[in-house]
Amino acid sequence: MLLIYFIITIILAVAVVFVNNRTFSKMTMLLFVAIQIAFNVFALQHYNSIELTYFTFDAPAIIFLTILSIILTTTTYHSLIYLRREYKRRFNSYIAALIVLSASITGAYLSNSLTVNWIFVEATTLAVAVLIYHERTQQALEATWKYVFLCSVGIAMAYMGILFLSSTVHATGTSRITYQSMAEIVAHANPVYLKITFIFILIGYSTKMELFPMHTVGIDANSVAPAQVGGFISSVMVNVGFLSIFRVYIVLANNAEVLLWMSHVLMLTGVLSLLVAAGYMLKSTHNKRMLAYSTLENVGIIAISLGVGGIGYYAAFLHIILHSFTKAGLFYQVGQSKRYFHSYELNKTGNYFKLFPAGAIALLLGLICITAIPPSGMFISEFMTFKALISSGNWIVFIPMVLLLTFVMYALFVRIFHLLFSEPLEPISLIEPVKVNPVETISQYMLFAIVIYLCFIRPPFLNDIINQAIAVIPK
Amino acid sequence: MTLLIIIFAVTLIYFSITERFKTYAILIGLQGLMLFGIAIFKLTSTDLPNLIFIVSETLLFKGIIVPFLLFKIIRENKIHKVHNKAIPGFYSLISISFGLLISVILAKSLNNKNVDFLYFTISLFSLYTGLFLIIGHKKIFSHLIGFLIIENAVFLLSVAIGSEMPMLINTAILLDIFVSVLILGVFLNKIGDKINDFESEKLTKLKD
Repeated sequence: MLLIYFIITIILAVAVVFVNNRTFSKMTMLLFVAIQIAFNVFALQHYNSIELTYFTFDAPAIIFLTILSIILTTTTYHSLIYLRREYKRRFNSYIAALIVLSASITGAYLSNSLTVNWIFVEATTLAVAVLIYHERTQQALEATWKYVFLCSVGIAMAYMGILFLSSTVHATGTSRITYQSMAEIVAHANPVYLKITFIFILIGYSTKMELFPMHTVGIDANSVAPAQVGGFISSVMVNVGFLSIFRVYIVLANNAEVLLWMSHVLMLTGVLSLLVAAGYMLKSTHNKRMLAYSTLENVGIIAISLGVGGIGYYAAFLHIILHSFTKAGLFYQVGQSKRYFHSYELNKTGNYFKLFPAGAIALLLGLICITAIPPSGMFISEFMTFKALISSGNWIVFIPMVLLLTFVMYALFVRIFHLLFSEPLEPISLIEPVKVNPVETISQYMLFAIVIYLCFIRPPFLNDIINQAIAVIPK
Repeated sequence: MTLLIIIFAVTLIYFSITERFKTYAILIGLQGLMLFGIAIFKLTSTDLPNLIFIVSETLLFKGIIVPFLLFKIIRENKIHKVHNKAIPGFYSLISISFGLLISVILAKSLNNKNVDFLYFTISLFSLYTGLFLIIGHKKIFSHLIGFLIIENAVFLLSVAIGSEMPMLINTAILLDIFVSVLILGVFLNKIGDKINDFESEKLTKLKD
């Protein structure tokens, strides 16, 4: 089935480019969304089975695959609205890139081998570059160049990490460098090599997870790419980075000395991510950049949760699930606001509540969700992280984390309240605003509704699958 | 073969003192040819199809195509010398020599029976040199050269570790071809049209 999925994906992407017809591309995109959902259902039915030797439908893969299916559907909806007035060539390249990107992300989620995962992560860079460069502006070129260059350096670094890890295996052949086979070997391997492996992998994949220290590529990409693409990158692409790091973390955790060290590194990285995010959010005057820094803040929380361990593992998964829905919804909504103001500059926006109440309420809901204020489900995941930090006596992480989150909340509230209720500080664009149909906000309401629902009720299947995903971490 | 890897290290040192981009392109080509020689001598245990793939990649891609594209970029965009704000040659030489020392110490301290010490050392040194060029130079072309050196470092490390794991080396080659084509493609088609003097300072519109 997986092979058929990849073949169909390639055929669809190539057909979109060569047929070069708007309606055909639109129908192909909708067909691909249907295929992605059907494949997701197939993966659920074949839970824990292995396909094509290198791919497993395990718990973490299923979680992120389901998120991908949901966010691909909403992103496709907003993309087709965005592309209405687009040139035919750009329309087709956008659709083809989105199809290839989704398939590459699927491959990265499902791969059970370090090298195969790495190949798919590498493939995502190419597809995303096309989407970031979509508007063909000087800023788009700058963001694309930086993204491609830094991701390439990051990917090379990650590969060096894989090579270090494979050096602990004595001539066994790459086909055996699966996460499972490596887990048995690292227990007795040289800890120094394993630590170097983790550092290289963390730095390399932090380009995709948008985590400190390689977060800058994601910030620039999100601020320049079309809003719905920003939402896609900030959710499902971030999940690619997280899962790639998480899988290596599980492998290396089999070595007790390395596990403790990795925990410290993750917590440090998390706090530094929060520090950078808080600092830049306080001075940010660009609505999309602010959301991009909010992603840095949230992946910082996830890194801390993973580092602290215990209940933190569950919190990390819950937080990344909820963050995916919230951030995608926020990007869609901020993208809609641009149709009124023709700008993302904070000073050139305001009074959104008067102009478009349906969108403004959605934005307000998104603000509540992302700042983890009840009834946001993210309140639960952050609360669990705090609990894990306090119960393990990690006050040195807990105190700066709480302080920095306060600054982040302040920055987000001031800026979004300005957008919603204040008069614009600078003259707004003279171009006639494009009216948005309130129906177009439904997807945002649905995504935020999931986040709020999960604050009160976490269905047993969700708890089970998260628990199964974290059960493989050595205690 | 030891001579080849030592000459490879010398080319890395030469990167620190040269200021002409043509020399950079020549050195990258030379490194490609040396990696071709290293692949032939070092990977004798690899099966024939894999060996042909690896050898053709180093000779054709690294030794011929990449330098050809670099010369094309230099010619079409009329860029000749590194930025005058780049770290002067003398200090670069000291820094690069320091990098070599660090690489030797690090490789020694990480001694592992599965890893070839000499290749490991030069791989670390290449990584250091590549990063040095990216950080220490202002021109984007230097950054591109820095990245190509990092790719060579990855190739050397894969040879040092995976001489009996051809799949690892093939994957490293995949990185080479895929990313080089992508980056050089962006460079050739887009950057040159919009940014005349290739200075990274011109790429600072995106900031807070």
